[in-house]
Amino acid sequence: MTTRDLVLSALFAAIIVALGLLPPIPIGIIAVPITAQSLGVMLAGVVLGAKRGAIAVLIVVVLVSIGLPVLSGGRGGLSVFAGPTAGFFIGWTFAAYITGYLSERLVKAEQTGIAQGIGFFIASVIGGVVVLYAFGIGWLALVANIDFGKAFFGSMAFVPGDLAKAVVAALVGRAVMAGYPLLPQRT
Amino acid sequence: MQTLHVDVDTWMHRISPRLKLGMLAVLGIILFLIDSVALLALAVAIGALLYFRTGLPAGEALKRLRPILLSIAVVTLFGLIFNPIHVAIVTTLRLVALVLFAATVTATTSIAAFMDEITALAAPLERLGLLKAADIGLAVGLVVRFVPEILDRYRAIREAHEARGIKIRIATTLAPLIILTLRDADNIAAAIDARGIRRH
Repeated sequence: MTTRDLVLSALFAAIIVALGLLPPIPIGIIAVPITAQSLGVMLAGVVLGAKRGAIAVLIVVVLVSIGLPVLSGGRGGLSVFAGPTAGFFIGWTFAAYITGYLSERLVKAEQTGIAQGIGFFIASVIGGVVVLYAFGIGWLALVANIDFGKAFFGSMAFVPGDLAKAVVAALVGRAVMAGYPLLPQRT
Repeated sequence: MQTLHVDVDTWMHRISPRLKLGMLAVLGIILFLIDSVALLALAVAIGALLYFRTGLPAGEALKRLRPILLSIAVVTLFGLIFNPIHVAIVTTLRLVALVLFAATVTATTSIAAFMDEITALAAPLERLGLLKAADIGLAVGLVVRFVPEILDRYRAIREAHEARGIKIRIATTLAPLIILTLRDADNIAAAIDARGIRRH
């Protein structure tokens, strides 16, 4: 890993931490304020690609493990790994990796803006919703003794918000791609 | 950046971090094997006793665990609806005990001690050529250094939006924030290499 890649991942980890400190920002269409940290996970994949994006999220995981309150609401420490929603947190790294992997394959520099946006949206939904929820719901079912199907339906309440985040991730991913492309330079 | 480590000196602070983390892992497994309400209630009592003896004021100690206890409460409600009451109680006690023990380890172990353990854990991966253990410390340092800067930048972008009468939208603020931040990567990387911090 080059020093530049390491720095890019660390800076993105810092952005994810900062997103947890910002007051919730209302997302365009929906008036519901949404904590932006899980959006940061999608963005890590969309902006940096699979490997660097996953490493950025892993750095956040390390920060949480060593007892820094870097998650939204000042959460942190090892107790994060013990709660019923730990699966979502553990799934973050995989979500960023899959989002990045799909972004690298679906989005090309020569495509039109709309095609890029759609590619980023699909990558964000599969990585940041499908993969992430597989981890989150699986853990919830296992640890909290809730039937898998019921855990699944209980979690569906959060899907509309996460789909809105995928839209934002696609828009921001496209804007970053136009302004400062990092995704095509694979390492 | 403040930490969740409590900087006092109790006997729990003096136990070796490796031993504490090992015990936490073993406890995690044991707690999931126990099904007895009495034993799990005892585990919660011991966990609470230890956690409230870490030197944290009780109010602050509770405040730290509030979000996670709230999520456990939601899961308990779910459990009470769908599961037999015995299962719901066992699950809740188990999670609360584990959270208390984990929070105790976090409160009594310093960042430096944690970093030493993580570096030791990464050593076998380094031998496999997957990563450099020293990079983990470097990355953590970079994040701590740059979070305040990113927050300042976010404020500046917000003010620029307000000055131009543009509504603050997450999509229009995040893109410039990310581009401005990542554009520094080349300079920072050059500075790190110039100082020979990551010697090959």
